[in-house]
Amino acid sequence: MGTINISRKYTAKQKSYLPAIFVGLKITMKHFIKGFFFRKNVTIQYPEVKRDYSDRFRGMHFISVDKNKTENCTACFLCETVCPADCIHIVADEREDEFNPDGVKKEKKPVSFDIDALRCCFCGFCEEACPKDAIKMSGNYEMAVSSREEAFYDLDHLKRDIKGRGKIV
Amino acid sequence: MSNNLEIEIKKPKLDLNYTSDKKPVHSDANPDVKPLPKVTIDGKTYEFRPGDTIMQVAERMKVHEEIPRYCYHPGMPIAGTCRMCTVEVEKAPKLMTSCSTPAADGMVVHTRSEKVLKSRTGVMDFLLTNHPLDCPVCDKAGECDLQDYNFEYGPSKSNFKEEKRVYVDATTKKLSDKITLNMNRCVHCERCVRFTDDVTKTNDLVMVNRGWHKELEATDPEKGLTNDYQGCLTDFCPVGALTMNDFRFKKRSWFLTKKASVCDRCSKGCNIEVHSDADIVYRYIPIFNEMVNGHWMCDEGRTSYNDFMNPMRVIAPLMKHEGEFHATSFETLLTDIKKHVREASSVELVVGTDATREEAALLKDKVPALFGKSMNVSYHNGFISSLAEDKKLDHMLRMTDKTPNTRGVEEQGLLALKNGEVTSDVVIFFRNGRAGIPKMKANQKVILWGVWTIDEVKNFPSQNVLAVIPGLATIEKAGSYKNADGIVQKFHPAITHRGSALSAHQVADVLKSLN
Amino acid sequence: MEMFDLIQMVAKVLLVLGVCLGVLPFIIWFERRGASWMQGRVGPNRVGPFGLMQPLADVIKFLSKEEFSPREVNKFYYYLAPIVALIAPICALAVIPFGSKAIIDGKEVILQIAPMDTGIIFILAFAGLEVYPVILAGWASKNKYSVLGALRGSAQIVSYEISMGLALLSMLIVYGTFSPQEMVTWQSGTFLGFLPSWGVFVNPIGAMVFWIAIFAETNRLPFDLPEGESELVAGYHLEYGAMKFALFFMAEYVAMIMASAFISTMFFGGYSLLPGMAEAVNFISNHFGFLETGRQNVKAFFEFISIFTKVSFFMFVFIWVRWTLPRFRFDQLMDLGWKILFPLSLINLVGVTIAVYFLNQ
Repeated sequence: MGTINISRKYTAKQKSYLPAIFVGLKITMKHFIKGFFFRKNVTIQYPEVKRDYSDRFRGMHFISVDKNKTENCTACFLCETVCPADCIHIVADEREDEFNPDGVKKEKKPVSFDIDALRCCFCGFCEEACPKDAIKMSGNYEMAVSSREEAFYDLDHLKRDIKGRGKIV
Repeated sequence: MSNNLEIEIKKPKLDLNYTSDKKPVHSDANPDVKPLPKVTIDGKTYEFRPGDTIMQVAERMKVHEEIPRYCYHPGMPIAGTCRMCTVEVEKAPKLMTSCSTPAADGMVVHTRSEKVLKSRTGVMDFLLTNHPLDCPVCDKAGECDLQDYNFEYGPSKSNFKEEKRVYVDATTKKLSDKITLNMNRCVHCERCVRFTDDVTKTNDLVMVNRGWHKELEATDPEKGLTNDYQGCLTDFCPVGALTMNDFRFKKRSWFLTKKASVCDRCSKGCNIEVHSDADIVYRYIPIFNEMVNGHWMCDEGRTSYNDFMNPMRVIAPLMKHEGEFHATSFETLLTDIKKHVREASSVELVVGTDATREEAALLKDKVPALFGKSMNVSYHNGFISSLAEDKKLDHMLRMTDKTPNTRGVEEQGLLALKNGEVTSDVVIFFRNGRAGIPKMKANQKVILWGVWTIDEVKNFPSQNVLAVIPGLATIEKAGSYKNADGIVQKFHPAITHRGSALSAHQVADVLKSLN
Repeated sequence: MEMFDLIQMVAKVLLVLGVCLGVLPFIIWFERRGASWMQGRVGPNRVGPFGLMQPLADVIKFLSKEEFSPREVNKFYYYLAPIVALIAPICALAVIPFGSKAIIDGKEVILQIAPMDTGIIFILAFAGLEVYPVILAGWASKNKYSVLGALRGSAQIVSYEISMGLALLSMLIVYGTFSPQEMVTWQSGTFLGFLPSWGVFVNPIGAMVFWIAIFAETNRLPFDLPEGESELVAGYHLEYGAMKFALFFMAEYVAMIMASAFISTMFFGGYSLLPGMAEAVNFISNHFGFLETGRQNVKAFFEFISIFTKVSFFMFVFIWVRWTLPRFRFDQLMDLGWKILFPLSLINLVGVTIAVYFLNQ
């Protein structure tokens, strides 16, 4: 078989283990002093302190809204088309006339916009495909839910004001 | 003998494009017929019938790339307004519109020369000056000529810096209850206007104003569009200006699976393409068939898929038990029906004229034997009492007979139901959702078979409906129809049935297994 | 027995037990926080200030847990094991002197619960008992992991007890006595003129062997093979839950305290005053004008502080080593015990014997 025999030759100093043990003890003491006197830790106090992720982090989805809290989404289905996990489900309909500060009338609206977060693979393709910058991925990574149903994000859930909705709205 | 060996064996050189001066090997060598004129398109010579335009020659001979066009449509008169189809003709001073320039003998045409491509880019640039960038919202996206040609020929960026023209009132304007107009997207090809002028001859669309303000309007804005072929407007509109309300925002075009079938809404039997996704039909669009429907299709037929997609359609075997309908299995249901049929003194089998020819044959020849009872088999139409009454409703496609296969059923040797009335104790009525319902007494025992909705079953003339055997709709099964012109058209399933209904042949198999 | 003797005996027992069990929560807290500091973490900091109430919370948790035992266990030995585990090291603490003597109401009180001449034998006897809970728990649990842990534990403790005993023997030859009190007295002087005459300076090899063996005796890392949680789940106390487990847990720390006190007494001068403390005693006595009695009591207090400091230091070293060194493989453990420590301690014993023989002449 492919066994390789390696014969190691140790000096008496190495064999006694003692210098290595003292080096180890020195290192742990260094860390102890750092932690005990200077409170330098690599861990964070999670629920109170959140880890700061990159702006490109792809967390929970949200749908951006305009001044009237109307979703920017026009139900173009591009996200549904590009989604590799088939987790976006849109039902579109005619958007009724409404006051629109930006001038051009929005023709189409999503009646329902569901994201099955359990299927989602957070690839961010939907965000890239969106022509209206409507669907975006926030920095929010706290997506634990207590039932499967809660992991189906509907339009209201995606529109709601949550922390970490992202810097550009 | 050695000389005889030197026979020159001439192999006929097969040239399907007839580029050689010799006559085609397989052509009828009739010396009286003058040789057809020839035109050279993109380096290859084609024969053509005198009078053809360059576009028609290119279409017929399938020149490697389609010549782009907006205003040209083979089913309509030529306008030559869009300038998209311009081609370079040697010895001609300018580029010629291929749709309106007749081909001439010896003409040399270049459809993809540098000059032509530059011209097309220019045309695209102008068309896009005012075209909104709302492809994501537009229903046409994915099957849009403007998109396709812009991808192929368009400028990569616009030179137009000014503000785009917006028709504020006509952004979403209902031209009728079927058609919505978005004037911002219009490229003024006027196919729609020519369609109403020359095809339907209803003249109910018109372009008002000139130039920058040119706008499409119904001739009578009060009444709006009135013709029965409005769906065709959305088919040939090269952009998303005219969209059909029935399909509007239901589905994006690229999700649709496309399968050919035959429309069963009237005896014309228009050739259709069934557009479905996940076995849910979203629309029918017509397929060109010169013999039957040309390029067109009526609105009634176009929206007739809704009957089959009806959520109230019976898609599981239903059996009446203590006055209520209950879903059951085919075996149980057919055993029960068989009992009823055998106990009855007289049984009648009525075949709706929307049954396929194959189904009609099966029902006539096999089904009575499978029930083990002699039956009086006849057909019922519900719209016309004799074939002579089947007339055209207008100069185009619509027919009086709203069932697809009256001739086909008659061909199988079935006779019409006398007076459209059933008299026997037990009636088995086979129908695919199109044929009318015969007259009957209020307490006659009825077994329904085929495509039914729950409402139809509940409001049936006879209150004594024993059972419903669900059947497949036209788009879900294979078969053939004989249309009003005597043309037999075969079709294959376009979608898979989503319920537990079985085809008539499968039901017959179950019946056979019960014996 | 006179009333005074009874009272002073009870008081001493209460003092030792109180200090010993009183610092337990703090040691457990420190073990967890110290580990986290050494590993760059924060550690338990939720319960109380600095997480100091965490052991209390643990106690509440242990008390409120369901008291259950597996069906197949041998009930008697199963319940006996944690009791033995806790009682043995506590008993051994009885002969550790924590001061020379205090004078109360004119009577001398020797600051040692059981001032006996054969104190070292007593300690060895109870330290030897520590192998029993491991075997009992492992065997009575009827669990293969527990049995494996128990086997390893017993083999380990027996192996290292030999080296420990030989190292101890060399010191007994040096001290010439079995009495802890006399050993401490022996170590109160100076060695080579500048060092305190602690056992560790007199017999460094013996001290080292003893120190390593002590780690193995208390089942602390790098010798925690009986537990070996990555291999044996939890080893011999795998089937123990609730308060029974808590007893094992406490026993480990009591054993550590006992071992620290033992090594302090044997090698680090016991309660003998640390450098500078004698001056402090003098200063306080002079300041308050104490006479002989008061001076002795102040000295006794400082002696107690001295041994407390030493024990604390060794407790810290226990924790420090635990989070520094990885666990030995079993063959490495046996190699170390039999091939290195045993010969080393034998040679040391011979050397010390010869040295003492010639020095005494």
